[in-house]
Amino acid sequence: MKYAFMLTTALATCLCAHLAAAQGPENEEGITAANVAAVIKPEYSPYAGRSYPTRPLFGDTHLHTAVSVDAGTLNRVGQEDAYRFARGEEVLSTGGLRAKLARPLDFLVISDHAEMYGLMPQLLAGDPEILSTERGREWYAALTSGNFDTIFATAMEIVGSLSGDEPPIKSEKAVRNAWQAYTALADRYNDPGQFTAMIGFEWTAIGGYNLHRNVLFRGDASVANQTLPFSQFDSKNPEDLWSYMAEFEKRTGSDVLAIPHNGNLSNGRMFTVESFDGKPLTAELAAKRIQYEPLIEVTQIKGDGESHPFLSPNDEFAGYETWDRANLNGTEIKTEDMLKYEYAREALKTGLKLEASLGVNPYKFGFVGSTDSHTSLSTAEEDNFFGKHSGVEPEPHRWEHVVIQAPKPEFNVYGWQQAASGLAVVWATENTREAIFDAMKRKETYATTGTRMTVRFFGGYDFATEDAETRMPATAGYQKGVPMGGDLPKSPAGKAPTFLVAAMKDPISGNLDRIQIVKGWRDTSGETYEKVYDVAWSDGRVPGPDGKLPPVGNTVDVARATWKNTIGDPELITVWSDPEFDPREAAFYYAKVIEIPTPRWTAYDALRFNIKMTDDVPMTTQERAYTSPIWYTP
Amino acid sequence: MQRFVREPLLHFLLLALFVFAAYSLVSRRQPSMATIDVTQAKIEQLAGLFAKTWQRPPTAQQLKGLIDDYVKEEIYVREALRLGLDTNDEVIRKRLRMKMEFVSDAEAEATPPTDAQLQAYMDAHPEAFREPPTIAFEQVYINPDKHSPDATAAATALLEPLRKDASYAATAGDPSLLPPALPLTDQQGIAQVFGDDFAVAIMRLAPGTWEGPIPSAVGLHLVKVTERAPGSLPALADIRPVVEREWMNDHRNAVEQQRFDDLLTRYKVTVEPVSAGGGPSP
Repeated sequence: MKYAFMLTTALATCLCAHLAAAQGPENEEGITAANVAAVIKPEYSPYAGRSYPTRPLFGDTHLHTAVSVDAGTLNRVGQEDAYRFARGEEVLSTGGLRAKLARPLDFLVISDHAEMYGLMPQLLAGDPEILSTERGREWYAALTSGNFDTIFATAMEIVGSLSGDEPPIKSEKAVRNAWQAYTALADRYNDPGQFTAMIGFEWTAIGGYNLHRNVLFRGDASVANQTLPFSQFDSKNPEDLWSYMAEFEKRTGSDVLAIPHNGNLSNGRMFTVESFDGKPLTAELAAKRIQYEPLIEVTQIKGDGESHPFLSPNDEFAGYETWDRANLNGTEIKTEDMLKYEYAREALKTGLKLEASLGVNPYKFGFVGSTDSHTSLSTAEEDNFFGKHSGVEPEPHRWEHVVIQAPKPEFNVYGWQQAASGLAVVWATENTREAIFDAMKRKETYATTGTRMTVRFFGGYDFATEDAETRMPATAGYQKGVPMGGDLPKSPAGKAPTFLVAAMKDPISGNLDRIQIVKGWRDTSGETYEKVYDVAWSDGRVPGPDGKLPPVGNTVDVARATWKNTIGDPELITVWSDPEFDPREAAFYYAKVIEIPTPRWTAYDALRFNIKMTDDVPMTTQERAYTSPIWYTP
Repeated sequence: MQRFVREPLLHFLLLALFVFAAYSLVSRRQPSMATIDVTQAKIEQLAGLFAKTWQRPPTAQQLKGLIDDYVKEEIYVREALRLGLDTNDEVIRKRLRMKMEFVSDAEAEATPPTDAQLQAYMDAHPEAFREPPTIAFEQVYINPDKHSPDATAAATALLEPLRKDASYAATAGDPSLLPPALPLTDQQGIAQVFGDDFAVAIMRLAPGTWEGPIPSAVGLHLVKVTERAPGSLPALADIRPVVEREWMNDHRNAVEQQRFDDLLTRYKVTVEPVSAGGGPSP
């Protein structure tokens, strides 16, 4: 294993091990060195009294079932089977296939659409109240016609109706029944220590300009039943969603948070510098946003939103499973000027800019990934991918089927473009609703594109080479610094920050290619920049004259859909210090860990169905993880 | 033959047959006066539906309209059924099927299970409720990259010092994100961190001494099992909600299956052979 130590001896000889502790990070509920020192007295057993998170929990914060109006048009698998599947049991998919995860999830949020919550099962059951409406009757007839084309067209019409001004079918009683049935089911399947069923729903504004958010509850059914899912029929303005959340917290004393997703399909609306109605952003709104939206879902089936090659032309790993041709429903072409308000890395930079003018950074968010699957089956593994919705579950032709039908055929999205992504990974102290929620609040999370690699990332001023050589890097990490999602204290005497970063491969996925640290910063004139550093990599490679690390290679046998772990390393760990640090400049740092190439889900489909796809269909992938950033504020 | 055709008896018989057939046709057509009773309860229901939609009760005129409309609907429905208009209608078929399934679900959920039922269910499915066996262990990691070409020898060389000196484990081996020790954990939990092969191997070890090396997805490990807890079956009282949840899920499926199987016995189903190529491709 090759370590890239860029640490000077001056930094290594640390005279002020407790300076960082004395100042302490500001992030709420964060674990400071002082906390750790107070908790961990020197003991004989190095494991005694350890109170920090020791194992990452892998989950999905974004799954739809038959209860969602759009999913329900095609999907017949309900919420109960969604839970059973997530905790590792075998269930039948809508298409009648037996489905089972390789490994259970640690937690799941079933986040069915708030709009007409629970309408579909009631519509399909022929609920008289719903059939008494004209739309209800039409849809019912179409959905039960037995003709797939009619059903799919109606499904698309129903998805479209989600963004209207008035719900085509309105029944508060039906919504309340469905919501309370859901929260009760979540309580039944919530098994502290084993499997967490967090309560949530998706607010689905606005039409083709995806501003969608998942709202997650810290509490149980008795708390969540004190409200109904806030839908885009209540308001299409995310600021009103935050007000709803604020009111809920005040009334119940229990916390909620919201996670936006698919900025990549918002056509320049997700991470703007304006309010919803186009006025300049105020400090008050910025503060509200980051209070209620500590995380974003940065990768999922409908594309990855970490970075875009247009915005990061010098980063050869920018752009992964990119969906950048149009907005969500393909009604408007995407132009280059929209990208900067869509992708996470740029949004983090925008946040630094806004912080300079407003005093608050609305985009100081951390990362999770999730699937947004509409099949009730949370599948993010390449060799076990059940698709975006039940119309593209495994069968020989799904790669060429339409996933999203646009008015203009050139904006249609086809099956093969789906990404088998992603997972939400949480460094929680235990597997409970409360612990997971609190870890999300403090942003001690990372996103993966479906792989289960373990990633640690700590920032401080005193990390030294030895910290990467101990048996328990996390102990040094928490003692001397802040974890992912945290804030660096003020720089002591202009010292450059140091980072302890480590990654371990998923036991059943590919080895690791490299760890990168992505830095974004704002100079004293207010301009923002970014730079990507390779900090640890496999196989003793030597960077070329251009400073670029050679590619790791490729062992994938596409025809057999296999690969060999003869390249890459199972673990990478290093201590890295920012060589270009300027204490006057605000900055963020996050780690990006990249696997060696492995077969993409399309390769497994080609093998299993014995079919040939066209040459534009990618057959290999390099799975990756993105940690929440650590911020430095002068 | 010609004589036979001219035979008057045949004419008579044919005529008789015709008359008989005509009579039977006519007599079937003859409507036996069916009755439609619009009961007080039905009228209240109609008025109630109207009120729900329009937020006010119907006027006398409107109520008469509702009743007339109901009578018309009832007659049409009966006539449609008589003419067999329901048989090839996909919507009606789906709807009827769904109603059957809902009847079954409602039946399954109508009666909550008793303790005796749940206990019997637990007895029949102990593996679903058994707490799996767990072990606690310490491990020392050997990174094959750092000890090539013979990492196994390097690992084995550490066994003796580890067995001699309990404190050596804290510093021996290579750095790793893997936990140096795991508290009591079941095989699945161990596999989540170390991979399946490692988990299977370590579950077989006896506690007390350093053993290995055992390979995992990331390298080699010397391990010492420090504690071992056999799996146990909790008492029903301790896990009643879980048992009830599983019982209900099973019961719902079973009731539906049972109902269907019962119905199936009333039918003889024949399916023509499926052609070798399967159905048409979509």
